Amino acid sequence: MLVGGAAAGVFGSLLGLGGGVLIVPLLTLGFGLDLRAAVGVSLVAVIVTSSASAGVYLERNIANLRLGMTLELFTAMGALVGGLVAFLIEERVLAFLFAILLGYVAVSMIRSRAGTADPADAPIEDDDAEAAPATESESPLDELDRHRSRILRRLSGDDYEVRNLGRAVVGSTGAGVLSALLGIGGGIIKVPLMHLAMGVPIRVATATSNLMIGITASASAVIYLLRGEIDPFVAGPTAIGVFVGASFGSRVAHRIDLKILRALFVAVLLYTAAQMLLKALS
Amino acid sequence: MTERNRVVRRFEWRLGRLLIAATYIATTLLGIGVVQMLLAGISPLAGGPELDLGRVVADLLALAPAGFLWLGLLAVIATPVSRVIGAAVGFIRGGEPVMALVAGAILLVIAAGVVSAVATG
Repeated sequence: MLVGGAAAGVFGSLLGLGGGVLIVPLLTLGFGLDLRAAVGVSLVAVIVTSSASAGVYLERNIANLRLGMTLELFTAMGALVGGLVAFLIEERVLAFLFAILLGYVAVSMIRSRAGTADPADAPIEDDDAEAAPATESESPLDELDRHRSRILRRLSGDDYEVRNLGRAVVGSTGAGVLSALLGIGGGIIKVPLMHLAMGVPIRVATATSNLMIGITASASAVIYLLRGEIDPFVAGPTAIGVFVGASFGSRVAHRIDLKILRALFVAVLLYTAAQMLLKALS
Repeated sequence: MTERNRVVRRFEWRLGRLLIAATYIATTLLGIGVVQMLLAGISPLAGGPELDLGRVVADLLALAPAGFLWLGLLAVIATPVSRVIGAAVGFIRGGEPVMALVAGAILLVIAAGVVSAVATG
């Protein structure tokens, strides 16, 4: 459990995931735990990965706190809605939809790698923040556009400009819904969303995702805790392993080639898509 | 770098340090519990006790592993929420009311989720 947790921690920290993608199969297939207990421990591990790495990323000014908090608000709202409708939708249908979504994101990331350069370097074609020319008779829409531009500037980093906030809000809400429905951290959606749609550099996107996933996971973990689904004897060793792995991962992340980081992420996306497809078909 | 950016960086650095400190405290408690488990020869698959706050205190006083493990787990789960509270305080002090409202709204949504989960069983 310690070694498996450490591997999940390194991986999760580098890729902005909670590591639950690895921990749940490890505990269910490797140690024979039932799925609900594994998900409860996995949520604790997601929080540990998030806290251990987000602290370092914040300290080094890699994570974008404002962007993370803004998107997290919509993820949390999505998670709340997802939690309320969780029992109305058949899990297999969700798993199938999720597999398609992951496959699409993986292909998009491969295509972006094959293309020019980092999407963050692409020219800004913001669909919700076109700069409105100031005219003498200013309409309320012009004022709204300028207000949006101001928000985007505030959410941007020193060397990149955030765009497509509208898409990000919709995507983050969707990530929250899926997070609650499928028991995932949501980083697997948030990282490509920030990187591909918003133009955030991948390193900042993974760091910001690490900041966000802990908040979503802690809300769910409280529910698991109240329902007696967290076993301290399993969660303790797993969390220690994850902490060691995540601390190591966040400290070496800046030394790892961006191409390797993106390739790793695509591999995780494809693996999870295959797992979800199997779940849908089983 | 502008003065505003310097203030923002300082605030994020402090928040990061706070987060690291809280995580170290939580994992130290978990580490003590895990070492005690190893020393007592308890298997992780033996099935741990459910959370009972009264018993946690008694276990801590008796230096039993479950006490340290539960305290560590509670600290782990509380860390992200305390980070949002810390961010809200920082935004208020830094004169960013909109971001402070965002942080407050996150806390409200989390609270609503917990209340609805408890209410619906």
